[in-house]
Amino acid sequence: MKAIETFNLTKYYGKARGIVDLNLEVEEGEIFGFVGPNGAGKTTTIRTLLNFIFPTSGSARIFGLDVCRDSVKIRKVVGYLGGEMGYYDDLTVEGLLRYAASFHGGDTARLKELAEIFKVDLNKKIYSLSLGNKKKVGIIQALLHRPRLLILDEPTSGLDPLMQRRLFNLLREENRRGTTIFFSSHILSEVQRLCHRVAIIKEGRLISVEEIARLRRGQFTNVRISFRDGKAPRLELPGIAHQEEDNGSLHLFFNGDVNELLRLLARYEIDELWMEEPSLEEIFMHYYEKEGAR
Amino acid sequence: MKAVLWRELRVNGRSLLIWGAILMFLTFFTMSAFGAFEFEGQLDQYVELFPESMRKVFGLDRLSLSEPLGYYGTEVYIMVLLFGSIYAAILGAGLMAKEEEEKTIEFLLARPVSRAQILAGKLLALLVYVFLFNVLIGLSALAAFKSYVSSDYSRDALLGLLAAPFLAHLAFASFGFLLAFFFTRRRSAMPTSIGLVLAFYFCDVLATLSEKMEFLGYLTPFHYVNAADIVMNGQVGGINILVLLGASAAAMGASYILYRRRDILI
Repeated sequence: MKAIETFNLTKYYGKARGIVDLNLEVEEGEIFGFVGPNGAGKTTTIRTLLNFIFPTSGSARIFGLDVCRDSVKIRKVVGYLGGEMGYYDDLTVEGLLRYAASFHGGDTARLKELAEIFKVDLNKKIYSLSLGNKKKVGIIQALLHRPRLLILDEPTSGLDPLMQRRLFNLLREENRRGTTIFFSSHILSEVQRLCHRVAIIKEGRLISVEEIARLRRGQFTNVRISFRDGKAPRLELPGIAHQEEDNGSLHLFFNGDVNELLRLLARYEIDELWMEEPSLEEIFMHYYEKEGAR
Repeated sequence: MKAVLWRELRVNGRSLLIWGAILMFLTFFTMSAFGAFEFEGQLDQYVELFPESMRKVFGLDRLSLSEPLGYYGTEVYIMVLLFGSIYAAILGAGLMAKEEEEKTIEFLLARPVSRAQILAGKLLALLVYVFLFNVLIGLSALAAFKSYVSSDYSRDALLGLLAAPFLAHLAFASFGFLLAFFFTRRRSAMPTSIGLVLAFYFCDVLATLSEKMEFLGYLTPFHYVNAADIVMNGQVGGINILVLLGASAAAMGASYILYRRRDILI
């Protein structure tokens, strides 16, 4: 059974585009990254999955259940952390978490354990918490009832690197226990570290779904050449996806035949030559540009 | 639903105590002055000097200030009715609006509860509050009658005067609750619901004054809980009760229909 499936999921807010014909499949047991720039439709997708908003057309299923019809059943097994979720200011952290637990049959067994892991003071009032601490409380309330699927909207924003690492460790552990994790981010290096697969969304449309391992293996190479005479020529060769001159050196994004590139470069006096695996960031920037130009 | 109900019951206790205490005090204090007027009987002569329209608006054309129920119906009742309606409307408007304003609605909706259950929990809390509020005022009024009234009065009519505001408050609480769905920010939902109460009161006054405007009366909850009518009939009219309960139920039902398919965006 798929953890998440969407079928031509479309959401317009009046005339404003949310998402268009989104077809997404998330396998049970994987950590799935959902990546795109701000305003791409990540939050819209997530809110539709949790039935906060209703699709304009298309449909979606979580563990085979329809997100609109069976939303209460779905939310029994889903933990959710919203990007802008608010918590009741008048409550203490413990009060809030107990309130959350009371909807799931009052199981508070994990409360103390999770508070320990994230170093959250249970007696503090919500309003007195910093942004990062609020985020931690948000993560705890999402994990409290041992959900089968975790949906996290920008979970790392506001967390310092140490807490981020703790969160990722915990998410990996949850995942080992069988929890499927779906999380959105606009920071790719995060996704790279945690996810098995990643979907790229731009302007409401799904651009591509890739395995992180494959993406990183990728055929693309970053090439930087600095020329002896300080003048960078314009190279014409199949496989040059992108070239940019920068102060006498040339930067190529290349997925053609390296031998041909070397033969071509042999005609020039070269000072230095670097070839390296591009970061995911660069791969995605390339995706965005390519798709944007289309 | 139970979790939502319990939380609402805890959170809104303070505002109930404040509003309740103020109105208990006003009720008791205003009634305490009755003892001073009771045997003079001159008060009605002064009232005769008021313009007729004014007497009509306050029900003084049919009620006498020198009688306990007349005094209560014209001096105390209007405060309870008007301030209580404002309290109820604000409370009703705030219940959902505050969840959206403080962005806690996503937290709530991420729990395994249906929207209907959330609304039911909130509405039940609203009902409890409006009821308790009226119980507090009722106790204060009964205590004041016991302390300051020695002449005879109809106990049934007094019960009518104590029960009727509950119905009006319930209607305004439901209207406020419904109204909040058209304003996502409490900042705008609250003043609007106060405005609604005052507008309805104004309609009631207009309907009393001008025969041409009489139709307006039927549109306002205040019309159905007129103090003079209750004192004259010795009870609240059965149809009036039905109209107010029906209006409350309609507003609650409309909130449910609106909320069922609403996009929650914060």
